[in-house]
Amino acid sequence: MFTFRVIWMALRGLQTNMMRSLLATLGVVIGVCAVVSAMSILEGAKKDITKRFESMGADQVMVVSGSSRGRRGVQTRTNALELKDAEAILDQCDLVKAVAPEIQNAAQIKYFQKNKGVQILGTTDAYYRINEYETVEGRFIRREDVRGERKVCVLGHKVAKDLFGEVSAVGYRVKIKGTGFTVVGVMEKKGFLGFREVDNQVIVPISTAMKRLYGVRFVTMITCQAKNPSNLSAAITQIKRTLRSQHSIRAGTDDDFTVFTQEQAKKQVADVTQIFEVVLYSIAGISLLVGGIGIMNIMLVSVTERTREIGVRIAVGARRVDIMTQFLIEAAVISMIGGAVGVLVGVGLSALLERITRVLETYTPPSAIVYALVMAAGVGIVSGLYPAIRASKLDPVEALRYE
Amino acid sequence: MLIQVRDLSKVYQMGAEVVRALDGVSLDVDAGEFLSITGASGSGKSTFMHLLGCLDKPTSGTYHLNDRDVTQMSDKELARIRNREIGFVFQTFNLINRTPAIDNVAVPLVYGRETFTNKKAMDALERVQLGKRAKHKPSEMSGGERQRVAIARAIVNNPKVIFADEPTGNLDTRTGEQIMGIFHDLHKEGTTIILVTHEMSVAAQAKRLIRMVDGVVDTDTPITPSLRNEMLHSGMFGASVLTDSGVSGGTESGVSGVTDSGSTVAAEPGVS
Ligand SMILES: Nc1ncnc2c1ncn2[C@@H]1O[C@H](COP(=O)(O)OP(=O)(O)O)[C@@H](O)[C@H]1O
Ligand SMILES: [Mg+2]
Repeated sequence: MFTFRVIWMALRGLQTNMMRSLLATLGVVIGVCAVVSAMSILEGAKKDITKRFESMGADQVMVVSGSSRGRRGVQTRTNALELKDAEAILDQCDLVKAVAPEIQNAAQIKYFQKNKGVQILGTTDAYYRINEYETVEGRFIRREDVRGERKVCVLGHKVAKDLFGEVSAVGYRVKIKGTGFTVVGVMEKKGFLGFREVDNQVIVPISTAMKRLYGVRFVTMITCQAKNPSNLSAAITQIKRTLRSQHSIRAGTDDDFTVFTQEQAKKQVADVTQIFEVVLYSIAGISLLVGGIGIMNIMLVSVTERTREIGVRIAVGARRVDIMTQFLIEAAVISMIGGAVGVLVGVGLSALLERITRVLETYTPPSAIVYALVMAAGVGIVSGLYPAIRASKLDPVEALRYE
Repeated sequence: MLIQVRDLSKVYQMGAEVVRALDGVSLDVDAGEFLSITGASGSGKSTFMHLLGCLDKPTSGTYHLNDRDVTQMSDKELARIRNREIGFVFQTFNLINRTPAIDNVAVPLVYGRETFTNKKAMDALERVQLGKRAKHKPSEMSGGERQRVAIARAIVNNPKVIFADEPTGNLDTRTGEQIMGIFHDLHKEGTTIILVTHEMSVAAQAKRLIRMVDGVVDTDTPITPSLRNEMLHSGMFGASVLTDSGVSGGTESGVSGVTDSGSTVAAEPGVS
């Protein structure tokens, strides 16, 4: 009950010097803004990435070209993986159930007057079995399609919608890079599968893609599915051994490919985001420190200006602890107002970033707001402590005489 | 006995110099008295008031308020005494300028223990005829009105005693009279009033007169009609008062049980 009165008093005291007080909290505003936007961006990125990885399946092992140096960054060398590597993995690794080689590239697809930029995914029927990704119409690519290098394609949900509207696309002919393809199926609406936005993808037999569309020997990626997800590392060992012997890599030399799983990729992303986190929180920390100094300064000024008031309060029965509480609350409130402004600016800033960049997904967890405000209050209390103690130690007689 | 002061001293050490602001003051005051304390500037009046008002601690001596030894009290207990039992009125009003009158009057209530209501503050403002100005800020008020707000603040907790240090010092004579009217009313209602002033016309309105000289009580006398007359007409604490009533007053009054013989000796005619 009593504390409420002192809080009320403190709030009243703030009204007069509002503008000045808010200027003093600029550091807190920036600090909190940094924390909130950092958290929004990082949380958004984490959510987005996690969502994508989760669609990848825990039993999958991805193989891409290039050796991995350390734990970060893949040194890309595109000419390492070939179709026969995929076959070798399926043949020689008994812990692997299915293997889908993939080649990916951008292309234009045409249906009469309609033209659309899409991602072409060349793969095999194994892709269909490995991923939980179904057709809604027609069928997927079959083994015969791959073997016969047939010019058939399966449209992603959005591609079918854009080119054919509500009409079934199956059986119609479209042109990809000028070559005619027959649509044999349409995929379900999925959003993301791994890193790919599959709804805007057109799937063709890998053999057709490599020879007829792009004329390449190498594949982009090989996705392997382990027989037993709990024994993923043994499967990885088998895959690595097979590929090293396929590529005739001598002992002691680096792999010319990189193997990763959902777990590893997640961890890698976590490592990268952690660096960002450290940087952003350092900025936030420095800003808050500056903000704290600003608040301490304004509070010291306030204590000096209100020396007489403090004298009066003591004279009419305020205890030292009451005076201290009043100034601490004032400092906390100023800081929290700064914090609230910071939260608003931070949320606004991340929304703006999302708009401008279009790729960045942001998400402000409610906990971030609570956390920021608590932190602001903490900064206020810590920096208000010295001025508050000074106020509470004033000699009432001297204070009342102060001009 | 409301106030019992024995041999109270306050010594300030200013570098090498020692200032005896109060130098062994003894005084007894009963509940319901109306005292005025007068004396030259620097004679220790304010210092004495600060000690009586529990705003300061003496260097030596004892001070019993309501039979409790104030000099032995903790800061917390002193705060409570200042809040509950004492009202202080200053020469410079000491209001918080940015808050309305009502909030100024309510400041002591903030630090009280009962449930906070504005009603007590409003009642106090009514008692000084400022009920209508409750929402006005001190900056929008005249000096007299400000002092009335300050008095309302002093009486909001119905204290037993009010200490007023030159309450009319910053006011013109007419406004000063208004303020004195309020003190008279409070006195009639039973509140003990101890008032510091250097204006004889103000001092004369009390029932008992204390004169301080160099940190000691030089004179302690009831204000008889003839003394009041003399004070009002001379406008000063005249020589006759000093030589006649002054010395005899100390013994005659019988209110002050202890008459400091030292202070009587120290009394010099004509000092004012
Ligand atoms: N804080 C202080 N430090 C040093 N000397 C002081 C202090 N306060 C008062 N004094 C001295 O004590 C004496 C009494 O002062 P004061 O009580 O204010 O007198 P009055 O109110 O009667 O004018 C003066 O000489 C003054 O200079
Ligand atoms: Mg004085």
